[in-house]
Amino acid sequence: MSTATHTIDAIHFTPPARQVRTAPTSRVLKSEWTKIRTLPSTWRTAVMAVTISVGLGAVLCISQANQWASMTVAQRATFDPTACSLGGFFLVGAVLLGALAVRTVTAEYSTGMIRSTFTATPARRLVLAAKAVVTAAFAFPVALLAAVVSFQVGQQVFAGKHLQVSIGSSGVLQALVFAALAVSLVAMIGVGLGGLIRHTAGATTALVLVIVGGAVLGQFLPAGLRQYLPGTALEAAVTVNHSAGLLRPGAAIAVLGIYAAIVLAAASMRMAHRDA
Amino acid sequence: MLFLQAGRGLNRQTGLAHPTGSDQCNQAAVEGPLLGATNGYRYTPSDHLELAEEPHFHTPTVRPMTRCGVIELTRPPQGHVSGTSGTERRLPPGPRTSRKGSTMIEANHLTKRYGKTVAVNDVCFTVKPGQVTGFLGPNGAGKSTTMRMILGLDTPTSGEVRVDGRPYHELADPLRSVGALLDAGAVVGGRSAASHLMWLADSNGIARRRVSEVLGIVGLSDVAGKRVGAFSLGMNQRLGIAAALLGDPETVMFDEPINGLDPEGILWIRNLMKSLASEGRTVFLSSHLMSEMAQTADHLIVIGRGRIIADAGTEEFINRHTAPSVRVRAVEQTDLGEALTQRGAVVECGSDGALVVTGMDAAAIGGAASAHDITLVELTPLGSTLEVAYFDLTKDETDYHAGQLADSSKGI
Repeated sequence: MSTATHTIDAIHFTPPARQVRTAPTSRVLKSEWTKIRTLPSTWRTAVMAVTISVGLGAVLCISQANQWASMTVAQRATFDPTACSLGGFFLVGAVLLGALAVRTVTAEYSTGMIRSTFTATPARRLVLAAKAVVTAAFAFPVALLAAVVSFQVGQQVFAGKHLQVSIGSSGVLQALVFAALAVSLVAMIGVGLGGLIRHTAGATTALVLVIVGGAVLGQFLPAGLRQYLPGTALEAAVTVNHSAGLLRPGAAIAVLGIYAAIVLAAASMRMAHRDA
Repeated sequence: MLFLQAGRGLNRQTGLAHPTGSDQCNQAAVEGPLLGATNGYRYTPSDHLELAEEPHFHTPTVRPMTRCGVIELTRPPQGHVSGTSGTERRLPPGPRTSRKGSTMIEANHLTKRYGKTVAVNDVCFTVKPGQVTGFLGPNGAGKSTTMRMILGLDTPTSGEVRVDGRPYHELADPLRSVGALLDAGAVVGGRSAASHLMWLADSNGIARRRVSEVLGIVGLSDVAGKRVGAFSLGMNQRLGIAAALLGDPETVMFDEPINGLDPEGILWIRNLMKSLASEGRTVFLSSHLMSEMAQTADHLIVIGRGRIIADAGTEEFINRHTAPSVRVRAVEQTDLGEALTQRGAVVECGSDGALVVTGMDAAAIGGAASAHDITLVELTPLGSTLEVAYFDLTKDETDYHAGQLADSSKGI
C-alpha cells in the first residue's frame, strides 16, 4: 500500500513554474562578446566579407559600365550607381556575416558547449538575446566598412563613364548606413535560425534561402507580396533612386526587423523549453 | 500487493516490509509498479532464484529507512568504520563546513522520462559537504541525466533537485556555487584555453586573474594560449576541471573525470577531489569504474537502470555486500577443513590447493587450528573488493550484458 501511495504522489507532483533568476545583462553581453572576439574565425570571416564584397562589387560595376552603351533609355533612367556598387556586398557579404551569426549558436550546440553556457547563465532567453545583440553589433561596423569601400571602388569604375555619384550626394550616406543596418538584422535572423535549427549546415542553408530565395520565389508572387520578402527588402533598403515594386528604404528596414523579431522569438521559445 | 501489474509476475520485494508513507523513493528492491511497467524490466523466474540465493542483495532495504527510503550510513573521514552493530553514525562536521551555509545537493523523487524510456526513476539522495561522494553505475544507468538535471539543463519529468537549498536556475552567479565538468570535449575548438575560461569568468562576474590561477592549478599554464581544438583528451579534462574550479565553488560535480587521463593524471585528480572535500566542499563524482571509486569516494550512491540501488559509506557498502574471506594452508589440510566446517565456516578449495574460508576471520581460524593441534602454513585475510559488491548489485540492472545474444539464442 505504501508503494501505491508513493506512486500517486510521483504522478501528481508538478514541478514549480520555471522562474529563471535574471543574470545581470551586462555580464551576459560581456561574456558573449568575449566569445565572439576570441574566435579567430570571426576575424577571418570579417576580412573575407569585406574583400569579397568589394571585389565582387567591382566586377559587377565593370560589367554594368560596359553595358551602358547598349542600355535603353528606361534602363538608364532607373540606374542606381549606389545600389549597383553594393551588388557584391549583398550577394556574398551579407551571407558570410549571416553565416557567422548562425555559427555563434550552432557551434555551441554541435560541440555541446551550449551546456557550459546554460550552466553559467541559466536564463536562456537572455543568452539568445545577448548573442543577437553582440553579433549584430559586430556585424554593423564590418558591414559599414564593406559598404563604404564597395561604394568608393564602384564609383571609381563608373567615373570612367561619368556615371559616378559622390558619398555626399542625396540619399547615398543613408543608403550605406541602411546597408549595414540591414546586414545586422540579417545577422540577428541568423542567430535566430541557429537557435531554431541547431545544425550549422541546416541553419546556414536556411539563411541563404531567406536572402537569395526571394529572387527565385519572387517570380511566382505578385509584386505586392514580393516586396515583403526578406531578400527583396534587403535590396530595397539600399536603393537611392526609388523603383516600383520595392519598399521605401525605411519600410524595408522595418520589415527586416519584424522578420528578425519573429525568428528570434521562435528560437527563444524553443531553446527555453528543450533540454540542452 | 494490489499494485502488481499484469505481465509483471512477482514483485521482487514480496515479503519485505517497508515503512509506510509516501516519502519513500524507489530502489532496486523497492521497485515501484508504475516504473516496472515502463522500464522494460521483465520478470524471469531465474531473477527470483538468484535473489533467494543472495540474501545480502536485499540487506540495505530491509533495514530501517530514513528519508526517501535510503539508509544514510556515513563514515567518519578518518576511515574509522562504525561498529558491526549497524548503528547509524552521522558524519561529524568537516574541518571547514561550508562558508555559505548548507551547500549540498538534494534530489527529491527525481524522475526523467524520454518517451517510454525512464532514464531516472524516482530518485532521492543527498550529497553532503566535506566528503567525496561517488555516483557509481554502469553505462546508461542515468548518471549523466541526473547530473544534467542538477544543473538545470534537463527539466525533470517530475520531482526536483536543489543545490544550496534552491533549484539551480535560482542561484545568483551559479558558477560561484557549483562547478561542473560534464563533457570535457564540449568546447569550441578555435578558442584558446585562456579565452574559453575568460568567457565563463565574464558570465559570472569572476575576476580575469582567476583564469590564470585555475590554469596553474590544473597545470595548463604553458598552453594557455594554445587552441583547445589541438588539445589531447587529458588536456581537455584538465581544462574542464579548471572551468569547474573557476568560481571557487562550494560544490563540484565531475562526470567521469578520469576518462582519458594517464596514471599520473588519475592520481592528481584523486588527490584534488580529496583536498576539495577536506576543505569542506561538496564533491560529487560519477564513474563506472568501481576500483577508482573505492580509492576516492568516502560515500557511494549506486545507480542502476535509473534507480538508486545503494546509498552508504564506501566501507559499509563493501562490508555489507561482500563476504571477506581468508586463505589458509595447513600441514593437516583435510583436518583443518573439517574443523572449520564444523564451526560453521564455508570452506572451498582454492586452485593452488589452499583453502578459502568465508564466515570466519583469521583469528578464529588460528584458534580453531590450535585447538585441533593443526600446524598452519599460511593464513592470509583476503579483502573484499568494491568490484565484487558492485557486480553483485548491478548484474540485474545493467542494460547491455555481454553475451546477451548468446543467451537469447538458446531460447529459440
